[in-house]
Amino acid sequence: MESQDSKGKIIKETFPSEIVSIIGDLLAGIILSLLIVHFDSFLVLILMIPALLSLRGNLSGPFIARTSRDLVIGTLSRRSWLENALATYTLSLITAFFIGIFSMILNLAFFKLTILPMGYFILIPIISIILALSISIPCSTGLNYLAFKKGLTPNNVVNPVMTAVDDFSTVFCFLLTIIILGVP
Amino acid sequence: MKYYMKILKESIIIVILSSLMGMISGSVLSSNKDILSAIPILLLIIPALNSLIGDMSTVLVSRLTTHLYIGTLSPKIQISDRLKEDFYGLLITTLLSLVSLLFLGYLVGIISGIRIVNPLLMIFIMSLTVLLLFSIMFIALFFGAIFLFKRGRDPNNFLIPFVTSLADFLTPLFLIVFIIIFI
Repeated sequence: MESQDSKGKIIKETFPSEIVSIIGDLLAGIILSLLIVHFDSFLVLILMIPALLSLRGNLSGPFIARTSRDLVIGTLSRRSWLENALATYTLSLITAFFIGIFSMILNLAFFKLTILPMGYFILIPIISIILALSISIPCSTGLNYLAFKKGLTPNNVVNPVMTAVDDFSTVFCFLLTIIILGVP
Repeated sequence: MKYYMKILKESIIIVILSSLMGMISGSVLSSNKDILSAIPILLLIIPALNSLIGDMSTVLVSRLTTHLYIGTLSPKIQISDRLKEDFYGLLITTLLSLVSLLFLGYLVGIISGIRIVNPLLMIFIMSLTVLLLFSIMFIALFFGAIFLFKRGRDPNNFLIPFVTSLADFLTPLFLIVFIIIFI
């Protein structure tokens, strides 16, 4: 299927998914520009958001691509999926911890905002990304399987749609986390 | 747990480095708070612009990897019909998506009451950013996928984290540089 995709098929399958992605990201942009911007600690929070959005892409993007490739080449099994998901969670925990440490260092070096307790620098990325991945992993697996069953090329369809779901859920889970933790 | 270890081993360094790049992107935004306040539509549109570049690059990497695994693209640096189809397909999709993004972005901006400054110039700056990044990414990812595949690595594990963060870092950086140059 994918080996013979014409440019027309690529456009036909990717463009509608990209529209969904744009809508999801504009919703994330609304949360960012209308809600998060008003927090007193915005200068520190905006440090973490691109890294968290990147982390989401860095983790769920390859997770989706691996699942999609395993489906296409016929090696997807329950065990391979579980190991894939477990590796994604492990990577997310390690990297979210590093994001916390890096933001703490950047804040101490450049912005010197004392408004946010130190522990929050670690807790915010870890809680946000775990919540976001718990939405992303089941959704993307279902979507990959559905796309494959319908004869669509999973690589063309699933990534853009999941970017929308993931970016919105990452920013939403981030907002939820800072509200729960009572970030000023 | 062989697959688990392979994923961890191949991904851990690049994922941490990519997140570092994301932090630099955050610092770029944080240190240009004045530009973000002067052109508030940027905060609304930046996640969608980042995603557009990131999505197209991710689709490209996934496609190149699958082509390399199933043998429809030979692991050589050469222009093939397969590569041309992918290039034109993704370029046209990027252009169509950019037009939709600008239309929807400005519509949402107007509806939600976000102040719109210099709309035509901003559209030019965003289009220039997207086209420039698409070209850079396509060339770099094609070379990267071939290089990694030839060394027995899965390009998905290396290039997707790298490219997502690179897009997240370069998009606001290019936008801010172009805004400083043109406005």
